[in-house]
Amino acid sequence: MVMFPFFWLIHMSVKPDRDIFTFPPKLFFQPTADHYLALWKTDFRRSFMNSAVASVSTTLLSMLIGVPAAYALSRASFKADKQISLWILASRMAPPIAFTIPFFLIYRYLELLDTIAGLVIIYLTFNLSLVIWMMRAFFDGTPRSLEEAAWIDGASVWGGFLKIVLPISAPGLAATAIFCFLFSWNDFFLALILTRTQAMTAPVAVVNFMNYEGWEWGKIAAGGTMVMLPVVIFSLIVRKYLVRGLTAGAIKG
Amino acid sequence: MDQAKAKSIPVVETVVAARIEAKPLDRIQRRAYRLYLIPSLAVLITVTIAPTLFLLVTSFTPLNLIVPETVGDFSRPFSNYNLLLQDKRFHNSVWVQIKLSLATVSLQLLAGLAIALLLNIRTKFLEACRTIFLIPMVLPPIVVAIIWKVLYTPDISPVLWALRSLGFPAPSLITEPDLALWAIIIADVWEWFPFTMLMILASLQMMPEDPLEAARIDGANSWQLFFCIVLPFLRPALLVSGLFRLIDSIKAFPLIYILTDGGPGTVTEVTNYYAFIQAFNFSYLGFSSAITVAMVTATFLLSWWIIKIVGTKVEIE
Repeated sequence: MVMFPFFWLIHMSVKPDRDIFTFPPKLFFQPTADHYLALWKTDFRRSFMNSAVASVSTTLLSMLIGVPAAYALSRASFKADKQISLWILASRMAPPIAFTIPFFLIYRYLELLDTIAGLVIIYLTFNLSLVIWMMRAFFDGTPRSLEEAAWIDGASVWGGFLKIVLPISAPGLAATAIFCFLFSWNDFFLALILTRTQAMTAPVAVVNFMNYEGWEWGKIAAGGTMVMLPVVIFSLIVRKYLVRGLTAGAIKG
Repeated sequence: MDQAKAKSIPVVETVVAARIEAKPLDRIQRRAYRLYLIPSLAVLITVTIAPTLFLLVTSFTPLNLIVPETVGDFSRPFSNYNLLLQDKRFHNSVWVQIKLSLATVSLQLLAGLAIALLLNIRTKFLEACRTIFLIPMVLPPIVVAIIWKVLYTPDISPVLWALRSLGFPAPSLITEPDLALWAIIIADVWEWFPFTMLMILASLQMMPEDPLEAARIDGANSWQLFFCIVLPFLRPALLVSGLFRLIDSIKAFPLIYILTDGGPGTVTEVTNYYAFIQAFNFSYLGFSSAITVAMVTATFLLSWWIIKIVGTKVEIE
């Protein structure tokens, strides 16, 4: 029941066009890569690359900015600690359209509409909070004694963080980065509004196949399968941390 | 907060030792920590607080990109909100939203609970199943929407075909005004029941065996065990996952965009979708901002409620 719809889409993507509309469905057919080949000849290829570039850049950027902040929040007891946590949580709860309208207006002015840079910036709204929220929990779970020993040996705070804390948090860093990637990759709403052609991402491109007369179901299924492929692979890699990441801030309608 | 303190207890000795040897270290540390935090706070202010304020300001203007004079027109700041109170289509969208949220959240809780209880029985089997059940939740929402579009489209739907060949009348759910919302509800429940299931499962695995044993010895049957012991124990998990889903249900977009486009008519047009149409189809950005401000307020009230119930440590593992 749960898996059937998922497999049906994959199976459609390798089914010859004439068989898609045949009922009762042919269970044995000659699998074809035609839909994928046809798809790769369209602008979908560029959209797929756009998605990859935007997701990877925003992941790197939010890790770079967010990880030290998460460490600081975990180790120091700031007076405003509670307020900062609440704020981070609130920005994850807010409906995306709340950010989309102002970003749309500002991007129009700054000419950032339909650019990958524009997407990377707006993805920070949820990715940065996600990094801080998740990494803080990981850092809370690592012992302080190691870095304190390093400080006594003369290491700087930054040195202790880079050489001691980060290496032992590697699994957490990897899991968090993958989550950032997934949430950006899965985004549809923001890309739909903030891009047109140049920076269009793969999810928007797939939906565009639905706008023509006589929908090309084979291509739609192939595109959908390609969009979900990285997601399924990465989810299997981080399945241990999946619950934590999704409850820390599952996004993205 | 208390947890963090408890964790640091074993290292108290080293901390004390470090402080005695090098007092200024503490100050250096604090300065360093502050330095690490500043970039994040600066970016967060720029990408979250500034836009929110901008949204609020926009909601006081009749901003319409097609009419340039509307930019920065604050002559009647509350006109959008007045309009909102009278707008039948907005009221309808709120009502659709309430129906959608209540139906999806309660069905997800039921499905999540049922499957979590099943999965909890056989522990060996569990790991494998867990991962499989997670798939709908991690799939890109747009792919979920496409999958269900296929299942609801008469020409190519294996489900509608199967129902028809078994002799059931199988209308295309998404084009029937009475059923379209159910089409969205079914797809949404499929997509998100793994979330409630995971939270409930995590809670179930922390449940102590003793009270169950004791009750069994006293002769309680399995229904009594479930309603008197298991269910009360799961209450916090049910509450938290339900509230999380409730908040997220306000954001529902891809399913509606792909499956029904808010239709037929406006029967599946939730508030979020209405705000989207006003802003990006009709270009009434000012009015749409007012709708969005109302939505954000509702979301924050709900979040505040969650935090009040479970504290800031909302993370459940």
